[in-house]
Amino acid sequence: MTRQKYLFCYLMVAPAMLITTALGIYPMLFSLWMSFVEYDLLRINQFGTPFVGLDNYVEVFSDPRFVQTLFNTIIFTILAVAATLGFGLLLSQVLNANYRGRTAMRMLVCVPWFVPPAVASAIWMWLLNTDRSPINFLLQDAGLITSNIRWLTDSATWGPFSIPMMSIVAVRVWNGLPFAVIFLLAALQSIPRSLYEAAEVDGASLWQKFWYVTLPMLRPVLAILITLLVIGGLGSFEINYIMTGGGPQNLTNIMAVYSYQQAFSFYRFDLASAASGMIFIMTGFISIFYLRSQLKRVA
Amino acid sequence: MTHRPADTTKTPFRLLARRAASLALATALTTTTAMGGYAQDITFWTQPQGDLLAYQDMFDTLTSEFREQSGINVSVEVINWSVAFNTWLTVAQGGAAPDCADMYWLHSFSGIGAGRFGPMPITQYKDQWPTLEEDFYEGALVDVHRNGEFYGIPWRVDIRPMMYRTDFLQEAGIDAPPDNWEQIVEQGLKLTQRDANGNVTRWGFALGANNNPGQTLMPYYWQAGGAMMTEDGRTATIDNDAMRTTLKFMQDLVHVHKITSPEIFEKSADPLADFTSGTVAIVGSTNNSWPSQFDRDYPELEGTWALEINPAGPTGERDSFSGAGYWGVLYGSKDVDACIDWIKFLSTPENMERISEVTGAASPRRSVMTSELWTQKPWQAVMAETLNYGHTSQHPSAVWNAIASPEPGAVLYDLVYNTVIGGGDIDAAVTEAQARMQTELDRANAS
Repeated sequence: MTRQKYLFCYLMVAPAMLITTALGIYPMLFSLWMSFVEYDLLRINQFGTPFVGLDNYVEVFSDPRFVQTLFNTIIFTILAVAATLGFGLLLSQVLNANYRGRTAMRMLVCVPWFVPPAVASAIWMWLLNTDRSPINFLLQDAGLITSNIRWLTDSATWGPFSIPMMSIVAVRVWNGLPFAVIFLLAALQSIPRSLYEAAEVDGASLWQKFWYVTLPMLRPVLAILITLLVIGGLGSFEINYIMTGGGPQNLTNIMAVYSYQQAFSFYRFDLASAASGMIFIMTGFISIFYLRSQLKRVA
Repeated sequence: MTHRPADTTKTPFRLLARRAASLALATALTTTTAMGGYAQDITFWTQPQGDLLAYQDMFDTLTSEFREQSGINVSVEVINWSVAFNTWLTVAQGGAAPDCADMYWLHSFSGIGAGRFGPMPITQYKDQWPTLEEDFYEGALVDVHRNGEFYGIPWRVDIRPMMYRTDFLQEAGIDAPPDNWEQIVEQGLKLTQRDANGNVTRWGFALGANNNPGQTLMPYYWQAGGAMMTEDGRTATIDNDAMRTTLKFMQDLVHVHKITSPEIFEKSADPLADFTSGTVAIVGSTNNSWPSQFDRDYPELEGTWALEINPAGPTGERDSFSGAGYWGVLYGSKDVDACIDWIKFLSTPENMERISEVTGAASPRRSVMTSELWTQKPWQAVMAETLNYGHTSQHPSAVWNAIASPEPGAVLYDLVYNTVIGGGDIDAAVTEAQARMQTELDRANAS
C-alpha cells in the first residue's frame, strides 16, 4: 500500500520533474559543461569542443568589461532589492490600512506587474529619452532644471553610481514592486491583531509596533522575498538589455547582458557560459544560505 | 465482477489505439496524395519585407505560378525578423534547415557551417544566369560570393543614401544638400538650433539611421579611401590615415562643431523619430526602408524631405553602405535542382519587379531600378543612382559580424564609441583596434 502510494506520488510529480529536467536542469548543466570547454561557433565545426579547464573563467575575469559588469550587477541588485523592500514595506502598510478606495489602490499598485519587462522597458525608454522625455519637460516647466537630464546616456559617475544605472534600477523597482507588495501584504494580514493590541496596551509607538511586532513577524516572508529578489536581480536581463544595452560606456552592463553579448554577438558560447556560471555560483550561494537558515529554523 | 475493472481500463486503450491507427492511416494517405500530386516538394524560408500580409500573399501567388509551370511544390515559411538571426545561427550549426532560403550574412553563416551546414555554394549552376554581371549591381554580387564560390542571387539591397529635410534647408537659405564633408559641417552649423538655455532643439547632422557604430563608420571610412581588411579576409587594414581622418571628422562633428548628438549610439536613440519630429535636419546614411515608409506612414511630411547621393569624402569617393539579401541553397537540401529552378523563377526581371513593388525594397537587378516602378518619384531615382556607389558592408571573414556587432565589446563599436563619443585619443584607439581585429581574424582563419 505504501509502495503504491509512493508510486502514485512519483507519477504525479513526474510531468513537472520531466519538464524541469528538460528545460531547466539539463540546459543548466550543459551550460556549465560549455564553460569548461572551447565552444567557439567559428571553430567548433573544425576543432570540436576540447576541454580547457578554467581557461574560460580566467579569460572573462581578465576582461575589464566583465569585472566592471560583475561589480555593476552587485550594485544593481543591492539597490534594486533595497529600494523594492523599502517601498514594498511602506506600500504594503498603506494597502493594509482600512480606508475608502483601498481596493482601487491595491489594483493600481499591481498595474506595473501586468506590464511585461520588455514592454515596460519600451515605455520607459520613451519617458527617459533625453530630447523627448515628458519628465524633462515637466522639470523644466517647474523651473527645476535648465538643461535636459540625460537619464539613460549620461556617462558622468559618482563612485559606483550614475544616472543611467539609477534610472534602470528605478524601472526595475517600478516593475518588481507589486510582487513584493503582494508578498508583504499577505504576510501583514496574517499577523494577529492581538499582538498590536498588546503592544498598544504597553504604550508602544507606531515605530515600536513596526519594529517589535511587524518586522519580527514578517521575517520568514522577508527572508524568502529577499532571496527571490536577489536571485532575480543577479539574473536580470531584459530591462538593461533593451533600455541601454549595457551602455553608456558599460555603466549599466550586468552579467546576463554580458553573457548574451558574448554568445550571440561574438559567437563565444564558452565565455558566455563562464559568465553565466558566475551568476549560477552567486545565486546558488544565496540559495544554499537561505535553505540552510530555513532548515535550522525547522530543526 | 472482478474482470469488470480490467475491461473498463482496456476499452479506452483500445479506443485510443484505434483512433491513433486511423490518424496514422489518414496522415499516410494525405502524404501519399500530396506526393502523387507534386513529384517534387521543396521548403523555402524567408524573412518578411514590407507589409507581412502582402508579402505572404505575394509568395502564395508566386508558388502557385511556379507549381503550374514546373510541377514543383514550394512550401514557404516566413520567419519573423526577431528570431531570424538565432534561426540561421542554429541552421549553421546543423539544426533543422530548409532546402533553400532567403538569407543574409553569407560569410558568417558559411564560416560557422564550415562546409557542412548552412549556405551551400552553387557555382556549378552559375551559368543558369549567363548575364549575371551585367544584370545586377556589382556591390550586391559581392555579397553572394565567398572564396570564389557563388552562393545565390541577390534579391534585395539595403542601400543608404543621404536624407534631408528640404523645409529646414530652405529655411536656413541653403540651396542644395551637402556635397562633401566640408559642406556637411558648414550646413550642419546653420541647421543646428538651440533654445535660450543652450539645449539643442535641432541637430544639423546625424551620421546614420541606426545606433550601430560599426555600420555608421563604414561609409565614411570608405569615402576617406579606407578598407577594412585584405581581400582574402586574413589581414586587418584599419590602422591608417583614412581611419584617423574619418574618426577625427566624426569626433569633431560631436565635440568641436557640436552639430551631431552625442547620443547617436545609445540604445535609446531613435533617428527615425528624430527626423520625423524635426530634431534632426540631415541623416548622412539613411535607412533603405525609410523613403517607402515615409510615403506610406508619414503623408503629412510629403514635400519636406528628399534623398541625395552620399557626400564625397576627402578622396572624392561617395561610397554608400550596401548589403544584399539573397536566395540560396542549403547543405542537406534534398533537391538542389528544384531549388535552382525556383530561384531562377524568382529572379526573372518580371518577378523581381513584382517582389520589389510589394516589399518596397530596392532591387539589385538593374532593369528593376530603371523600370517605371523605380522612376516615378525623385527619391527612387536617387536610390537607383546610389546603387552605383554601393559598397558591400559584408567583408570576407566569418568573424566580420562579430567585429561589426552593435554591442559594446565589439572591435568597431569600441573604436568608434571611445573616440567619437568618448573623445578618446584616436591614434591609440586605432592601434588597439587594429590589433584586436587581427586577433579576431586569426580566430576565424585558424584552420
